[in-house]
Amino acid sequence: MAKQKSSNNPFCKKQLGKPVSEILQYGFFSFATYCIMLCALVIFGKIIIEGAPVIWRKGADFITKKPQTLAVVEAVETQGIEIPTKNFNNILSSNDADTLPLKDVEEFKKSFPYKRFSLMPGSIIGEGYLKSIEQQNKGFFLIYTERDTKSSVGFSVTSDKSITLMTSEFEKLKSLVPELIPAMVTTREVTLSDYQVTIDKGDYALSKTAHDALAPTDLIFQMRQGFPDDEPDKICQSIIPKTQTITVDANTYFAAFDEDENGTLPIESQKDLPKTTTFHQFTLAKGVYSAPLSAIAILANQGITTQHNLVRGSIVVNLDEPADLMLPMSDYEQLIAANPGIKLEDVTDFEQKADYTRFTLAKDAEIRIDTEDLDAITRANEETGKFKTNSENTHSYSGGGILGPIVGTGLLVIICMIVALFTGIGAATFLNEYARKGAFTKSLRLAMLNLAGVPSIVFGLFGLGLFVMLAPSLTSTPHIESKLSLPLAPVASTPQLRVVEEKKIHMETRELSTSTVVAAARSNSQEYFHDGWTYLSFEGWGTCMLAGGFTLAIMVLPVIITSCEESLRAVPMGFREASLALGASKWQSIRTAVLPYALPGILTASVLGITRVAGETAPIMFTAAAAERSDLPWEAVQSTGFAAFVEFLQQSVQALPYHIYTVAGRIPQSEYTEPMQYGSVLVFMLIVMALAGISIWLRIHFRNKIKW
Amino acid sequence: MKSMTQKKPQNIDTTASVTDRAVSQLPIRNHTEQAKAQHAQAKTSNHLDGLKTMVEIDDLSFSYDMGKTNTLQNITLDIPEKQVTAFIGPSGCGKSTLIRCLNRMNDLVETSRITSGQIRIMDQNIHSKSVSPIELRKQVGMVFQKYNPFPKSIYDNVAYGPRIQGIKKKSLLDAAVEKSLRGAALWDEVKDRLKDSALGLSGGQQQRLCIARTIAVRPKVILMDEPCSALDPIATAKVEELILELRQDFTIVIVTHSMQQASRISDQTAFFYLGELIEYNTTEHIFTNPSIKQTEDYISGRFG
Repeated sequence: MAKQKSSNNPFCKKQLGKPVSEILQYGFFSFATYCIMLCALVIFGKIIIEGAPVIWRKGADFITKKPQTLAVVEAVETQGIEIPTKNFNNILSSNDADTLPLKDVEEFKKSFPYKRFSLMPGSIIGEGYLKSIEQQNKGFFLIYTERDTKSSVGFSVTSDKSITLMTSEFEKLKSLVPELIPAMVTTREVTLSDYQVTIDKGDYALSKTAHDALAPTDLIFQMRQGFPDDEPDKICQSIIPKTQTITVDANTYFAAFDEDENGTLPIESQKDLPKTTTFHQFTLAKGVYSAPLSAIAILANQGITTQHNLVRGSIVVNLDEPADLMLPMSDYEQLIAANPGIKLEDVTDFEQKADYTRFTLAKDAEIRIDTEDLDAITRANEETGKFKTNSENTHSYSGGGILGPIVGTGLLVIICMIVALFTGIGAATFLNEYARKGAFTKSLRLAMLNLAGVPSIVFGLFGLGLFVMLAPSLTSTPHIESKLSLPLAPVASTPQLRVVEEKKIHMETRELSTSTVVAAARSNSQEYFHDGWTYLSFEGWGTCMLAGGFTLAIMVLPVIITSCEESLRAVPMGFREASLALGASKWQSIRTAVLPYALPGILTASVLGITRVAGETAPIMFTAAAAERSDLPWEAVQSTGFAAFVEFLQQSVQALPYHIYTVAGRIPQSEYTEPMQYGSVLVFMLIVMALAGISIWLRIHFRNKIKW
Repeated sequence: MKSMTQKKPQNIDTTASVTDRAVSQLPIRNHTEQAKAQHAQAKTSNHLDGLKTMVEIDDLSFSYDMGKTNTLQNITLDIPEKQVTAFIGPSGCGKSTLIRCLNRMNDLVETSRITSGQIRIMDQNIHSKSVSPIELRKQVGMVFQKYNPFPKSIYDNVAYGPRIQGIKKKSLLDAAVEKSLRGAALWDEVKDRLKDSALGLSGGQQQRLCIARTIAVRPKVILMDEPCSALDPIATAKVEELILELRQDFTIVIVTHSMQQASRISDQTAFFYLGELIEYNTTEHIFTNPSIKQTEDYISGRFG
């Protein structure tokens, strides 16, 4: 029956069976497709399976905290420990809650003896004490500009101390606080040499010790780069621009010119200048004393430790009315003892209750703990002497926290998009509206399309060469490695020196010694390095977010220009004609009748550009990214006004892709850091997907809104 | 979307095909002495006596390709003030090109050239160096074949011209918008929704809005390039009515494909063919008693 039917059917399938080749083709194509799907599934699945628990456990902390480094601590013996509940919760979130070897967890209220008091206006308090009051009383914050250097403040000497002073300082101390000087003072005369040394001009390697010793002297020198904070032992290159002869004292001499040490200066010739100095030696007994700050400054040079940085100066409390404050009993007692100038009223005792948690930590149990929490535990168990641990392994970034990288990536993207959109829209407008259509524009467009295919690492190197090392900047002191500096205009204000930094001096006594020396060196260097001109110096911007943003902008420009041109071409010719026919100039017609209608397309394209820029690692590796940074960019800015803005832009930042690279590949791997890289990747992926979503939404939204 | 450069060569192609067709059908270029004399007489008839001239086109030749081939050939024609002058002719005969010469819109095509002659508007040669095309276009406005309001509100569309001339004061703009919309007989229809998008209007309303937008700049001359070709008969009737009203204040030059429209609204009619002006006379004369056979053939619908 069926056969008969099919014979009548002119389109009947030929009964030849499936040829083998067809099956093979089908198999190959479907295999290829399913392979791709499988790969995608495996990648996304792995990221989500590994990353989601991290984010789930850490919650919002994962994105709102700066990168954390955890210590892995092993308990020596089974011990009962109590810590503030706040820190306890931190520990819980840092560890897998299920496997945490804690027993007998119990919350309780712990009470501490406190003192409540009113701080009267006009009190004089050491800065350190004021800080601790401010820490203990949230909301109490004193803005002060003037320090009281004349009033007497208290200080304590914890043990008998032998003090040796030169005549001038001894006489001064004697006149300031006669009661400090005991009857028995031994005097001895010592002959010390000053050295007159001549240093040849040239390039030298300098250690930090030598640099610090030379900085206050008259020597004119310039560092090629600063000493990095994390590597104090590094030896940095410096340049001495001319042959100089300076006189230095023995300490400086041995610190900076010792031939056996690495990183000291070779001496061309030297002359000893013998000098006799009288020293006075006496013993300062243990106890609490009161003295003017200038006297304390002398003693501070002799290694008398005063508590809470009191030596930095005292502050006159400048309040309109008494402030109600409180302090823990022990702190209060210290405050009273050390600050004779303080005026308090209504002192009452009371007990402050705090949420604490008590738990038992089993022997050999391993917990992960943030350094801050570790401090808190140690402090809380100080009296009982518990919490003994044997090993502390810190694992970088094992605590998660990717606020820094997110902020950095955001800043890079903002700078990049500002630069890329301005130039991109400009170039697209020129190509589409102004330029004659010919061989030139064609080749220009071809060049641009080729630019889109250049590997991103090439852009990174290009950015390094152009923005980090060559880009022009305005400065009064051109860097030694500046390629070209052109004088532009006389400087408006005295420039800040790069080498000799003026130390902040609070003490009257030190002004005589250090600051005069600094001033001398300063005027000397100024003569040499500053000729009173502001230069346009082609010395680059250094590794900073500005350089990174520009590099990324150049990388994304072809994409932006191409899509801008497309959007401009999509605006009907009629709009331009109508606008011109109404008497608009070319630019008016572009501004009012073309660009506004091309903007939605440009916007959509630029959001997609953002996702690409945010994900790039190679271009920012040399130009902007820092592997490690503990503070956010705006927290490090010290200058004010426009200079602050420049300083802000001239910082290196952490960036999300580079952070992932660091966590996954550059730091020692351990089971503690691995989940964090997946967490970061998951967050990163979500951000990129959100941006892509925004782009799609924008496209749909504008497509519905604007029609012609 | 086509750019100007792409558009025009296509027109030239059409010219070629029209030529082939036309030559096979009609003895158009009969260069007999009699025909020449007839042509000369048709072009220089004294039907404009007593009318003040607004636009003088004097022996104008125009080329789109740097002067290799002329799209317009030696056109000489005077357009009187405050009258409607219609340009008719088959597609590709150069009437749109001519109208676009009058406000120098052809400057947008880089390869376009005036190869001979000149155009004087209000006794000023508009291609002289001292003339700014921007100022010229303020005086010589244009309405396009496809209505093209900006995708903004009705108000913003009409206020566009005054705004780019630097008028910012709201009361002045309001007055200009109302006056122009009233002038374009659109005020009563849109006065309650001035802030609505212009794209929500019907086709005829959009075209009248474009006219309102043009008269908001207060030009002396309004050029209309087939303003009704995309409209239905009712909308066309409204636009035609409007044109007749506008005649009192403006000099209007209209390009049209519809003979009926030309006969209904124009005072003068010029017939073009293959880039040449064949006959120019009062509309009545052209439609009732054309001097040249080609004109007669065209308006009677025997070709075109």
